[in-house]
Amino acid sequence: MDTIYYLVQNMLPVAVPLLLVALGGMFSERSGVINIGLEGIMLFGAFFGCLTVYGIQRTGMGPQMILLVGMLVSAIAGIIFSMLLSFAAVNMKADQTITGTALNMLVPAIVLLFSKMKFNSDGITTDVNFYIQKVPGLSSIPVLGDLFFRKTYLTVYIGFLFLILAAIIFYKTKFGLRLRACGEHPQAADSVGINVYVMRHAGVALSGFLGGIGGFFYAVGVMDGNANGHTGVAGFGFLALAVMIFGQWKPVRIMFAALFFAFLRILAYSVALIPFLHNLNLNQTYFKMLPYVATMIVLIFTSQKSRAPKAEGIPYDKGRR
Amino acid sequence: MQNNQASPKFKDMITGITKSKAVSTFTAALLAIALGLIFGFIVMIVAKPENSWYGFTTMLFGGLRRLGDVFYYATPILMTGLSVGFAFKMGLFNIGASGQYTMGMFFALYVGFMWKLPPGIHWIACVLAGMVGGMIWGFIPGICKALANVNEVITSIMFNYIGMYLVDMWIQGNAVIYDSGKTRTSYLPVSAQIPSLGVTGSNVNVAIIIAIALAVILYIVLNKTTFGYELRATGYNRYASKYAGMNDKRNTMLTMLIAGGFSGLGGAFAILAPSTIIGSSMTYEPINVIAANGFNGIAVALLGSSNPIGIIFSALFISHIQRGGTVVSSLYGYKPEIIDVVIAIIIYFSAFAMLMNSNVARMIKKRRLAKEASGNPGNDGQQDRKEA
Amino acid sequence: MNKILNRAAALAAASFNGQGQKAPIESPSGQEAYSINYEDYSEVNMENYIIEMLHITKEFPGIIANDDITLQLKKGEIHALLGENGAGKSTLMSVLFGLHQAEKGEIKKNGEVVRVSNPKDANNLGIGMVHQHFKLVEIFTVLENIILGVEPNKAGFLQKKEAREKVMELSKQYGLHVDPDAIVEKISVGMQQRVEILKMLYRENDILIFDEPTAVLTPQEIDELMDIMRNFAKEGKSILFITHKLNEIMSVADRCTVLRKGKCIGTVEIKNTTKEELSRMMVGRDVNFVVEKQEEKLGEVVLQVSNVTVPSKISKKDAVKDISFEVRAGEIVCLAGIEGNGQSELISAITGLEKMSRGKVTLCGKNITKAPIRQRTKSGMSHIPEDRHKHGLVLDYSLEDNLVLQRYHQPEFQRGGFIKRPAVRSYAERLIKEYDIRSSQGAITIARGMSGGNQQKAIIAREIDKEHKLLIAVQPTRGLDVGAIEFIHKQLVATRDAGKAVLLMSLELDEIMEVSDRILVMYEGEIVGELNPKEITVQELGLYMSGAKRNMEKENSYAE
Repeated sequence: MDTIYYLVQNMLPVAVPLLLVALGGMFSERSGVINIGLEGIMLFGAFFGCLTVYGIQRTGMGPQMILLVGMLVSAIAGIIFSMLLSFAAVNMKADQTITGTALNMLVPAIVLLFSKMKFNSDGITTDVNFYIQKVPGLSSIPVLGDLFFRKTYLTVYIGFLFLILAAIIFYKTKFGLRLRACGEHPQAADSVGINVYVMRHAGVALSGFLGGIGGFFYAVGVMDGNANGHTGVAGFGFLALAVMIFGQWKPVRIMFAALFFAFLRILAYSVALIPFLHNLNLNQTYFKMLPYVATMIVLIFTSQKSRAPKAEGIPYDKGRR
Repeated sequence: MQNNQASPKFKDMITGITKSKAVSTFTAALLAIALGLIFGFIVMIVAKPENSWYGFTTMLFGGLRRLGDVFYYATPILMTGLSVGFAFKMGLFNIGASGQYTMGMFFALYVGFMWKLPPGIHWIACVLAGMVGGMIWGFIPGICKALANVNEVITSIMFNYIGMYLVDMWIQGNAVIYDSGKTRTSYLPVSAQIPSLGVTGSNVNVAIIIAIALAVILYIVLNKTTFGYELRATGYNRYASKYAGMNDKRNTMLTMLIAGGFSGLGGAFAILAPSTIIGSSMTYEPINVIAANGFNGIAVALLGSSNPIGIIFSALFISHIQRGGTVVSSLYGYKPEIIDVVIAIIIYFSAFAMLMNSNVARMIKKRRLAKEASGNPGNDGQQDRKEA
Repeated sequence: MNKILNRAAALAAASFNGQGQKAPIESPSGQEAYSINYEDYSEVNMENYIIEMLHITKEFPGIIANDDITLQLKKGEIHALLGENGAGKSTLMSVLFGLHQAEKGEIKKNGEVVRVSNPKDANNLGIGMVHQHFKLVEIFTVLENIILGVEPNKAGFLQKKEAREKVMELSKQYGLHVDPDAIVEKISVGMQQRVEILKMLYRENDILIFDEPTAVLTPQEIDELMDIMRNFAKEGKSILFITHKLNEIMSVADRCTVLRKGKCIGTVEIKNTTKEELSRMMVGRDVNFVVEKQEEKLGEVVLQVSNVTVPSKISKKDAVKDISFEVRAGEIVCLAGIEGNGQSELISAITGLEKMSRGKVTLCGKNITKAPIRQRTKSGMSHIPEDRHKHGLVLDYSLEDNLVLQRYHQPEFQRGGFIKRPAVRSYAERLIKEYDIRSSQGAITIARGMSGGNQQKAIIAREIDKEHKLLIAVQPTRGLDVGAIEFIHKQLVATRDAGKAVLLMSLELDEIMEVSDRILVMYEGEIVGELNPKEITVQELGLYMSGAKRNMEKENSYAE
């Protein structure tokens, strides 16, 4: 049972960045813009979030408050950075995959350049302890308390809050309906007076918002409050894309997919704790590769019938309807 | 209008248009480069205003002082550039050049250390092994794309990570290859190193000649053969190529196989290069980082607009400013990452440049259509425009 | 000039009292006779017009799509807009709907000048449009599609309940029978069109544009649509009805404006005109719809299709159900039917673009059921595909490269994998000459820059010149003008007279009746009738196409 508690407690902080970033990808792609730049957006958010934390860690603010401030900054950073993508994809009608790749290359270079010149290191190290030993009151609930309210991060609760908000915006609001129309049939949206460009900018901005926060939460929950230009976010942005595809561009399914991938990752780092896996006596690298291999396998089995937003990746040109 | 009678005026028109198109491709690339450099300059001004002008000019021209190195460092990115550009021609985005490059490097290393072969043959065997390694790593995403219709972008990204982890594990697990004291690979035997071109103080070697030759061969394959005809047709219009009975699946796998081979060669060329210091060699440090040369290949391919000949020049250019960047960081206290920033910006604007080109193409089309319409009263061009 | 003015006055008078004398319009001097002085015309009737498009000129680079066109729509009338493909009808409507902006001219509503710079403006003016290609989000429900853009909401949250009630009410009022919660991609094309109509009603539009609405409907559905349109007119809504089908205009429209090559030819009262008259206005000359053909000389069986079943891509049903037929050398067999009854899927299965789940196809006695496309081509199949941009051409290739698209691998054009450029060039130049393919730069013109008619000519040249025993032509004349259509019909007949088998798939009734030697009617994935065009009428053919009638007995004899 302790092993299960351990796995769940460690899985959630890993799952939340995947969840948020995949939701971001969902907003972007359902509006019609492929966002392969999520990896870059994450690192950008993580970097600015950590920079903020670094700046205010000595002010005597409580760690959870610092986390919230960092989150806010990372969200703004994510939105601003994502505008590079939406400008290229929507206004300039550039190739979205290539633009995203450029953004992915740009961020580590900027982070390294800045960190080397400023800190003479590859990234930012902070020393705030964001860890929550137990949530008062709730942690004493049997089983559930152990699973969800001990040894965790605030990020977990914020993450699931965002999931609920995202699902409501996506399905219950005028905005969500219009956004989804733009990713499926922009000409139809245009013909009923919806501004496709604005909706696509909004979709990408939301992905920047969630991607930036997701990146910061990765720095908090996985990297212990640090950001590094060399290792970046270890392909989490790409994994989030796989999570999004596995989740069929739908919020709740994306949550399950994120949990699945996070579980695989935690498994890889907990081999020593699980006797069965430990006895296999495999090199730990195999377990590290597990999420990536699983992505491949999942994609092979889902790609045939998966239904991507119909108009994704195709620049919308008003003049050529 | 008698179209099929080539009057002198008509010929002038053709040359006029082809010229303007080629010029526009070139100017678009130049524009992307200029924007990238300007941004780099701004970063320099922000970072260290007092040195920025010297730094900038050094970045631009510093590479000229180390021409041998420019050619040496151009070799691997020329190969990954050809890899990415070749796949582009078929409409595939080979973002996995990185993993193929790493795999190729490992295969080359393995043969270099583990096989005992006579000098003169050994390095050739290593190079070929590198090619095979890259081929395998490109082929698998190709199979997934062809048979299960899995998006090659995601799979090849995953293969970058899988390849990187595997190679690092294999290297660390092999006592002959890995020197755990230095946490790097050991020095390769001389027989496994590619013959140098003998430029003093430079690692430039035979590989650059092989790479340029391969680019020329690739150009011929793409433009003069039925295979190239099929490949480009598939890249332009997958449905039409299927309709014409071309074997899309086979061509997809073949393209990824060849593209992987090119990247693998890039990895082999990089690690098998001779060292200027006697008794040493190139080494690799397994620290779980994706190879940057794979991604730089994307920049190279885009700048060269996927044309193998263009790629030769864009690889030399990127290598040139990279060298400039190293000089800058050693002389004026900037960091070499500034060049990575410039390269990323260039890629970003290259994606626009393709749009600018297509705008030019559309303009030409409109002009032609107008000509045709005026000379052909029974034409239904308007209808067609609306369909488009 | 006097004469013209007189006629205008007569027409105006006729339209005014509604029972003007039925004066047959003659046109001894060609199109001039129809020109009407709009200034005079509009002054007389000003208060009657709800929408006026005056002197509209819309240019695309190099082409004047609309040249000084005037169209005036009265309140409560059904006004047809007639013209050939490419005459500028859709452009004119796009201008009215705010999708394009005209360079010259003005739009008036109730006599006042208005600006329509986007669809939203149009909607605010009460203008709604059923587009030829429906603007529906397939994965949304009917209701979501209807409210999209005008969503009832509280603080941004959708209020679907009241919307549903309104939709249900409208649906009932006009007898549309639409289920608001159905997913659009799962309902029939006819139903989808009703969703489009509901979209306009929900927005309370009173000027309704129908862009070629009948192309996708069965004859029954067309009748129902006509009734719906009459209902709307009765309620005071004004309707613009774009079409090139004369029968429909004669049956439903009050007036008709005719466009030809971007110019306005004139506006006529339907009760004062005839079909022949309209067709002459549309085409600019007497149209000879009769295709000249020799007696057919039947040869051996070339294509034999036995018990073929093809699964549908959209639903779980089969698109083609157990179909058997044969095509002999020297005949043109036409697959007729309303769009979406399995014809395209059947053709795709025969040509190898899609897989069939059961059945057998033989070409000249050779089993090609599972053969790859290349092998089918080599066995003597030529295929003019349905979508020339998607399948027929590599638009970014030059004309010459497109002309060898099916043959580049033959020894004539390659040696050892290297393409023989001079051979390709001279071959392309021969075809360009023989088939009169016009382009700005001859063989090296990029296909994208050619006009639709010439692109189609290139495909036809390629497929007919290639050695073949069977020619499959799928909607070969779609979207082309009369001149190109005549050319293509001649080529099809010549191919048949040269002893080849021709399988034609067409949606155009005239084409089916004129060109084919034998008609196979498909309905819901089955062949419901085998007909001789010489022995039946269009009306009868329509009955088969709508599934109301069938004669199946002959078909079974082909089954093995």
